[in-house]
Amino acid sequence: MLVDFELIKCAQNGDGVAFNEIVLAYRKRILGTIARLIARPEDVEDVGQEVFLRLYFSLDQLRTPEVFEPWLHRLTVNAAYDYLRKQRRRMESRMSDLSEQQVVMADAQAGGKIDQEQQEQKRIREMVDSLLGTVSEADRLLLTLKEVEGLSLKELEKIYRVNENALKVRLFRARQRVLKAFGAQDPRGKDSAKAEV
Amino acid sequence: MSSSYRGGDERSLDALFQAYRDACQAPEPSPNFMPLLWQRIEARQNYSFFFGRLAKGIVTAAVAICLGMAVYLSVPRHSSALFNESYVEALSGGHNLDADQLHADLFPEPDEM
Repeated sequence: MLVDFELIKCAQNGDGVAFNEIVLAYRKRILGTIARLIARPEDVEDVGQEVFLRLYFSLDQLRTPEVFEPWLHRLTVNAAYDYLRKQRRRMESRMSDLSEQQVVMADAQAGGKIDQEQQEQKRIREMVDSLLGTVSEADRLLLTLKEVEGLSLKELEKIYRVNENALKVRLFRARQRVLKAFGAQDPRGKDSAKAEV
Repeated sequence: MSSSYRGGDERSLDALFQAYRDACQAPEPSPNFMPLLWQRIEARQNYSFFFGRLAKGIVTAAVAICLGMAVYLSVPRHSSALFNESYVEALSGGHNLDADQLHADLFPEPDEM
């Protein structure tokens, strides 16, 4: 825990200063998780604020401060899930307005503005983003929390309030789907991914 | 696909996830993070406050209307003598204003036929 239970109780009683301290303590960690869950750096802060906004208005529903962290993780996952669903709808409508050539040109223009290392990171993000796009938003988040964030099944069990076996099955299926998409990718892309790591 | 190749893909995928983790480092929060957060909290509070007051106003108005209706219905308004008479008294009392006309319609005078 990054904060005392007492601080959480104070925030539950409407203490704005205590709430501020909680946000400051967890802000960096939550923003990092969101960055990996949504893969769009420009929107990370916006989603992060949404998480803490939800935290502020639902803090009184938290019965025991001991479960604060899984609960905050759950709020993060829910906010990321809502963002991804909105984003998918927005992307579908936006992309339908552009021709394929326009999309490629816009992408190339955007890519030219950043340096090579950033471009490489962007490429990896896009590659994983496209792989994770082969599963549902819910599976994408679950897989990211397990494979990228490195959360254990016990931690995931607390966040999702689902038993471990159900999580294992869901994770296995999601991973198989991503693996299949990864296997079907251009071998050059895979090789460069290997070289990268 | 051979199992060794599949195993290779598994490892590559794990490595890719690791690279992804490194590529998505936690961004430094901007200085506006906290002020914007509190702005959003206040905006949401104002919104909830407005709708809370609106709901209270509607409930108060509904209660007032119910009370008004109850008072209106409970006040006896049948002061007219017609409603205080019995059925037979009313019939014999000649309150039926249309009776003459009805009689005239049913039994016209012979010269009108």
